[in-house]
Amino acid sequence: MTNTPLTGGRFDRRGFLKTGAAALAATGLARPALAQSRTIKIGMVMPQTGPLAFFSEHVEFVLNQMQKATGGVLNIDGRQIAYEILLRDSQSNPNRASEVASELILDQEVDLIIAAATPETTVPVSDMCELNGIPCVTNDTPIEPYFFARGGDPDVGFEWTNHYFFSGQQSAGTLLKMFGQIESNKMVGALWPNDGDGNAFAEAYPPLFDSLGYGLSDPGRFDMPLSSYAAAVSQFKADEVELIYGVIPPPEFTTFWNEAAQQKFQPKAVYAGKTVQFPAALEPFGARAEGLVTEVWWAPVYPYASTITGQTAKELADEYEAVSGRQWSMPLGFRHSIFEVIFDGLKRAQDLDDPASIQEAFNTTDLTTVCGPIDFRTGPFPNTCTTPTAGGQWVKGEKYPLDLVICDNLTAPEVEIERQVQPLTY
Amino acid sequence: MELVNTISQGVLLGGLFALYALGLSLVFGVMRIVNIAHGDLIVVLAYIGLTVTEFLGVSVIVAAPLILVVAGGLGWVLQRGLFEFVPRHDPLIPLLVAFGLSIILQNLLLMGYGADPQKLSLGRLEQASVEILPNLHIGVFSLIIFGLAVAMIGGLQLMIYRTGFGRALRAVSDNEANAAMLGLDTRAIFRKAFVIVMLTVAVAALLMAIRGNFDPASGSTRLLTAFEAIVIGGLGSMWGTLAGGVIIGIAQMVGAQIDASWQVLAGHLVFLVLLFLRPSGLFPKNDG
Repeated sequence: MTNTPLTGGRFDRRGFLKTGAAALAATGLARPALAQSRTIKIGMVMPQTGPLAFFSEHVEFVLNQMQKATGGVLNIDGRQIAYEILLRDSQSNPNRASEVASELILDQEVDLIIAAATPETTVPVSDMCELNGIPCVTNDTPIEPYFFARGGDPDVGFEWTNHYFFSGQQSAGTLLKMFGQIESNKMVGALWPNDGDGNAFAEAYPPLFDSLGYGLSDPGRFDMPLSSYAAAVSQFKADEVELIYGVIPPPEFTTFWNEAAQQKFQPKAVYAGKTVQFPAALEPFGARAEGLVTEVWWAPVYPYASTITGQTAKELADEYEAVSGRQWSMPLGFRHSIFEVIFDGLKRAQDLDDPASIQEAFNTTDLTTVCGPIDFRTGPFPNTCTTPTAGGQWVKGEKYPLDLVICDNLTAPEVEIERQVQPLTY
Repeated sequence: MELVNTISQGVLLGGLFALYALGLSLVFGVMRIVNIAHGDLIVVLAYIGLTVTEFLGVSVIVAAPLILVVAGGLGWVLQRGLFEFVPRHDPLIPLLVAFGLSIILQNLLLMGYGADPQKLSLGRLEQASVEILPNLHIGVFSLIIFGLAVAMIGGLQLMIYRTGFGRALRAVSDNEANAAMLGLDTRAIFRKAFVIVMLTVAVAALLMAIRGNFDPASGSTRLLTAFEAIVIGGLGSMWGTLAGGVIIGIAQMVGAQIDASWQVLAGHLVFLVLLFLRPSGLFPKNDG
């Protein structure tokens, strides 16, 4: 009936008229008899193309893993329930993300939606699910930008959406602690653009920096792409900045980092969220990427294992490297664990035909995934959960150009520290 | 000092904008085509540059002549194989064709190279700078970009106003039908013109690829500033394009000095003000 193989494929009009009708029949008329044997439809929204596309590099690998591990069937209370995943591309565009989420809900009548990678994806998708009463699980967007970009009220939260990732507080805590491991004048230069993350940082961090004794030099919210960062660099020089705390994607960071060198601006430690987490984005810098610091949301050294494949974090990373020929990167753990969370929830749901029942199951998640323990009742906000977040520094690698070493475990004490942060050398 | 630094950074940035705009200006000036795909052609050549340098394992400078040859060939093929068949009596048709070309190129690049940001490397030269005045550092590579922009504009200007081919080019651009009546082979002229356009595009592409990362989606963002530079300078004027680029560059840098959020906005505002005051640009082409 609705069992059309469409993972990744795009649907034509006739196609979805057909399945639409079939799904209607399945949910409406045939309820008592067929309800338990129908296929569960899982919508998935990812930025597969556009500037955020590198966030999606693990999607195909993880989908194949799931297919191999489950055969497309979940074993729920002894019954075999088939599921299918309908993957849609947000094109790195929030409007498009909203559009495809609405198409998944209204035309495909999915039972739940998962999405990941930056507020530009998770926020519009979550909002669309909240609006339509569809269970939604997201990750890979720091919790504050996710929550506040949606206009969330910390006392109320949202009814239909759950989200897990590191929080800005964790990230800032571990980064500032790493900054503290080196000798500096504690003057931080901000590169916070006019987008979801940048605005959230600008709102949340100044008091935090102040309370920890760090000074702040903030040139203001700028629109990207920016053709030159010369003005910011000259302000940082005038303010004698020694530490950089930014959240800009790779093309922007390249422009900034080269202009900084030209202007003889030589900070002692540099963090640029959206860039420093990804070895592929750092490789073009060659040796100049060695020494950059990053928060670490997941790494092969994390002492956790998958509830689906049983692999440890290390084994998951190794399999990815063997299959893809590319170096592991942090999103891999989250792409994998989101399936752990939803499969676990689906198995615990009382009534798979009732969205509220599925949602209730997600709300009461208590599962130790490959990314760490996930329980959406722990906060910081309603229906969110923070995952263990360490701090690390990139060093010259053996197998690949860069390796990540763990330098701080303030909010992930189970992860072992490998060495101290070294100041950048010029 | 701060002001001198701001302005010199702005002027150098303007050189980059002018370089992006040069090919666009030529295509519009000669063929009356608004080439929406211009930014994507720059990105395509950046990828060609990447492929050639990686395949041969040589530096960009060594590979540049080969890349220029490929670019010229591509220009000839584009004109001979595509734009020659596009009717130009209605400016909307070539515009739509270029728009389609832009989408096709972006997606082909995405299929072929993936979305990872790429970069060409010139080693330490990228970060090198000279201290012109105390505390005034100018990037060597920015100077090279500006120098090449000036040299290329000068060269094109000489070609257009001092050579037989330039005369033919101007004749065709003024009135295609009359030029054909006088015995000029307009098709051959257009093909040659597109080859020259692609040579300028190749230079812009290589410099862009060394200056920063690029990915298949980078093209469109280069297009807007290029358009503004051309319109400020006056359609068809090469030096005007440089002036336009420099004005936007300085406006952006001065804007950023006030607040980072003003950088991009200031460039656009100056464009709007100048469009209002001088609708035909600073150096309009003489109608005589």
